[in-house]
Amino acid sequence: MSRLEAKKPSICRSEPLTGERTRASLAALRGLVTSCYGPAGRLKQLHNGRGGSVVTTSQSAALLAGLPVSTPVLKVLTAAVRNHVACFSDGGLFTAILCCNLVENVQRLGLTPTTVIKLNKHLLSLCTSYLKSEVCACRIPVDFSSTQILLSLVRSILTSKPACMLIAKEVDHISTLILRAFLLTIPESAQEHIILGKSIIVPLKGQRVIDSAVLPGILIEVSEVQLMKILPIKKSDSFKVALFGVSLSGDLSDTGEGTLLVSYGVSLENAALDQLFNLGKQLVSDRVDLVLCQKVIHPSLKQFLRTHHVIAVDRIGVSLMEPLSKVTGAWPIGSLGSISPSSYGSIKDLCIAKFGCKHFFHLIPNKTTICSLLLCNRNDTAWDELKTRNEPESVLQDEGCSQTELQLITDAFCSALESLAGSLEHDGGEILTDSKYGHFWSVQADLPSAVNWPDLLSRCGCGLYSSQEELSWSFLRSARHPFPPQTCLSREATGSASTLTLDCFTAKLSGLQVAVETASLILDLSCVIEDTN
Amino acid sequence: MVACVSSHLRKTGDGAKTFIIFLCHLLRGLREITGKEKDFFPFENIQTCGRHWKNCCQWKFISQALLTFQTQILDYVMDHYLSRHFLSIFSSGTKERTLCRGSLEMLLGAYFCGRVGRNNHNLISQLMCDYVFKCTACESSFEEVLELVDDCFVELKVGVTGLPVSDSRIVAGLVLQRDFSVHCPADGDIRIVIVTETIQPLFSVSGSEVILNSEAQFQTSQFWITERTKAIVKHLQNQNVKLLLSTVKQPDLVIYFAGLNGISVVECLSPEELSLIQRVIGLVPFVLPEASSQYELSHTALVKFCKPLILRSKRYVHLGLMSTCSFTPHCIVLCGPVQGLVEQHEDALHGAFKMLRQVFKDLDLNYVTQTSDQSCTSGPRIYKNSRESNELPKIVNSSIQRSYQDTVVKNEGELAKTQTNLKVCSNLIVPSVKLEKNVLCSTPKVAVTDSYQTDETLRCSSPNKGRIMDDHEPFIENNSANSKTENTRKEISYENLQVTKLARKDSILPLRYKSLEMCTSQSYYFSSIPAGCVLPVGGNFEILLHYYLLNYAKKCQQSEQTMVSRIIANALLGVPKILYKSKKGNYSFPQVYVRALQALQTNQPMISNQTGLESVAGKYQLLASVLQCLTNILTVDLVISIKRQPQEVYDQDSEEEL
Repeated sequence: MSRLEAKKPSICRSEPLTGERTRASLAALRGLVTSCYGPAGRLKQLHNGRGGSVVTTSQSAALLAGLPVSTPVLKVLTAAVRNHVACFSDGGLFTAILCCNLVENVQRLGLTPTTVIKLNKHLLSLCTSYLKSEVCACRIPVDFSSTQILLSLVRSILTSKPACMLIAKEVDHISTLILRAFLLTIPESAQEHIILGKSIIVPLKGQRVIDSAVLPGILIEVSEVQLMKILPIKKSDSFKVALFGVSLSGDLSDTGEGTLLVSYGVSLENAALDQLFNLGKQLVSDRVDLVLCQKVIHPSLKQFLRTHHVIAVDRIGVSLMEPLSKVTGAWPIGSLGSISPSSYGSIKDLCIAKFGCKHFFHLIPNKTTICSLLLCNRNDTAWDELKTRNEPESVLQDEGCSQTELQLITDAFCSALESLAGSLEHDGGEILTDSKYGHFWSVQADLPSAVNWPDLLSRCGCGLYSSQEELSWSFLRSARHPFPPQTCLSREATGSASTLTLDCFTAKLSGLQVAVETASLILDLSCVIEDTN
Repeated sequence: MVACVSSHLRKTGDGAKTFIIFLCHLLRGLREITGKEKDFFPFENIQTCGRHWKNCCQWKFISQALLTFQTQILDYVMDHYLSRHFLSIFSSGTKERTLCRGSLEMLLGAYFCGRVGRNNHNLISQLMCDYVFKCTACESSFEEVLELVDDCFVELKVGVTGLPVSDSRIVAGLVLQRDFSVHCPADGDIRIVIVTETIQPLFSVSGSEVILNSEAQFQTSQFWITERTKAIVKHLQNQNVKLLLSTVKQPDLVIYFAGLNGISVVECLSPEELSLIQRVIGLVPFVLPEASSQYELSHTALVKFCKPLILRSKRYVHLGLMSTCSFTPHCIVLCGPVQGLVEQHEDALHGAFKMLRQVFKDLDLNYVTQTSDQSCTSGPRIYKNSRESNELPKIVNSSIQRSYQDTVVKNEGELAKTQTNLKVCSNLIVPSVKLEKNVLCSTPKVAVTDSYQTDETLRCSSPNKGRIMDDHEPFIENNSANSKTENTRKEISYENLQVTKLARKDSILPLRYKSLEMCTSQSYYFSSIPAGCVLPVGGNFEILLHYYLLNYAKKCQQSEQTMVSRIIANALLGVPKILYKSKKGNYSFPQVYVRALQALQTNQPMISNQTGLESVAGKYQLLASVLQCLTNILTVDLVISIKRQPQEVYDQDSEEEL
């Protein structure tokens, strides 16, 4: 009999936000995420005293996953940010900083939660309707006829992750690759709804970043031993492929729930193997060139196929089955007895490739939207950091500039958004905003008061505007007259700037909503009941 | 107490907090009164008993008085006085009752106010309101729709974390929380079948023995299995079936052939999903024939579309079911930044459907009024309430509902059941489960069958009432009678009680029952709170009931009834007191209370400064539940704590739900 332990009563804490501990940990978290934000963000190294790997990162996903959080309020906050990142894989820090700022600012005000929540909700609806409206100045439509904006977007995301440890040349290379991989997934014949293909990331650690590549089709990793058994591939313009979802190992798993009585001398294993050989014969007579199996192929069958010049690859795994089916056009076969000829597929070419120390089968398709992105990096952490690829969406928004603009639209959000924009600056510099576009400009600290701004500033934060236009500046956080920011309507404007810093619009919008909603949720808490059993 | 609250909440979806507040005030009121009034205790030999025993007897006496109150006075006061204040969520005027959207919004708004965070409660209440209207094909079928949604709520909602709550929406059709095993896109109407077993024949079935004499035999049977599977799938394709829904996992072979023949497959449907689909489109599973593969496929249905639905990079199956019942299938997609919030909203919505389900039902009120006989006003009077007489029609009626038979259902079994119920009530050691079953769970549909026979002359004095009840489909008649004569009282008096007839047959019944026969002249009233009755929020119900109970107590002659009515009336005020706690000046509780009393005394309408409505039936049921809980607590005289692991967990609640 197990020992009984008396149940502990639940702990009930009222006003969870006013506690000193919560306040301190909220401030600590804010400091942490703020310092990571933006292209100039600082890295964080997470050590766990009990072991495990050391994580070097500035990404919210990795940071919050490794950070132990004990206060209930922070648990809600981090969970919200992590769920947001899981959806959009972007904008986690933005959400976290805004949420922290809102909670802290409102607390300082000392208003009742009801009023604050109502106001926040109203302001949020103003923001979202502005951002979604046509007059919104922060949005730049993606011009799919040129790669420039898309490239800028990818580059912005990559440069905001300093833990990737990429040099400028590598950033260029990887951005180009990611964009190419994305473009390859767009089908050639566009229908009403475009169904994007898939780009499969193949990890390759310990290689130079510059060796990364995008390849059409699929790479299947094979061991060196397997490779030796494979015959030289004959030249042909088309290869017939059979894709098996069912195991070809000759096991007798599916005999029902009843009892099986086998007479002496009868071997079911042999019977099953016979069946496999029959299958092999059918494959050979159907002139199949390549047999791919999700599970295991019986060695005898493999041998049989090899003698008939059929290449067999097994243990492919379930994750590659769908892409393989798409690439080859083959239907995963679930039968050992009868195979319909329509379930065979084909590929254009097949070759063996070696990248680093790994060997791959490279299946080159006729026409498909599947591609493989071979990502190389020197070490694990940096590779994990790099893995966060992003597929651009239709509408984009420029970073930095948007925050100062929003701040001009709303009032109570002001300081929260302001400090968010402010947190883009990490080198002790000052932030200016112009009175025409409301964009974000950064200068060095400790400047003499009378300076000629256009000389000092060259381009705004996102790179859209140059200081040579007739603009006037003021410091962020200083008093100024409200003005309607002008829309960046011109294609030329976007064209003239060589490198823009861009953000994904949908991710940002959702991040904004999640941040405000979570802040309201936290502010609405009046009591935390914790079950300590 | 917690068990009582949870079981109340499970059934009505509302009132947990009020339950506790009210119970608390009742207990406090009782402690006060028993501390002061010693003469209230009727036994003379009090000094001989121990203090503890004295208390127990006293509590038990009070609990009996409470039960009397609940079964007699409460219904009487509700029917005679409170009913004139009721509002309805149905717009009046036309003959057909139509649900007023504004009223429903106010009802739901008030409900979600205390359950969903301040920044979301409008959104959720709007979502729910839209959902109710979208799902209901015609006005008359709200009750049916709500019942289905309440039963199958888990299958009708999809929770998504990581998105803002404002992204929550309603999607037409049914969303199954799994992906296709095979998806073959198809246009137009899609024919579907449901299977509950694997299509591939098993090599051997459970309990049988397969003897294999040769390898060839094994191979032949494998071959046969393959061919047979192929033939069945081919046949499905010939019948133009495009989608196969399966409750079990189908073997690879079936998936392969289905894909080749352009049939999409969804596997591992849960029994709940299956039952929902069956309820909505009335499709029964397709049974595989034993021998030949040439047969007609009768059990198929059509769906409008069948496509994958992607929510937060997870794929779901989205089916456009064509409903054959009054429920037009829609699903609620609930988004939220964190899992806990999504769950909270789900629970709140589910509770709201439960609450609405109660609102759309008539709630019957039954009570007895004494006309002349004073000979039996002492002890056994308690049992002369309408409770016993109610049991009979309730049970008979429910059995008819179950079987839809016109035959006489009054058999020995029914009698036995009735008698056990009577016994339970007579002994007053009432287990909570039993009581709830009687009063809450079944929200009795008393067979007011007399009204259909004598439509206009509601007065009926036939001694053979039992037989009338069993006659013809009283269930249907009852509905129509209720809708026609809403809120009119039906008075039926009997020469003799049905109960006493039964009592005579059973000699074991306590002697007290004999006394029932003496009281020959009683008036039984059958009335109801019609479906859709509401009152404005903000303690309106409580203040009204408080006022009328005090009035009743003034008129009442029996001291214990007066006392119980007073205690309850005062405890009722506890709820508005808390509601107005934070208000100042003109809206503070004393001010509101005085204004309300003045309005009532001068027959003016009560003015409420709050928008929002709450269900009268819900409040009534809450009151009944609290009183029952209190009765239970008071009847317990000793708590025995056992410091040992329970031998066998016997969960009565879960069994009841089954």
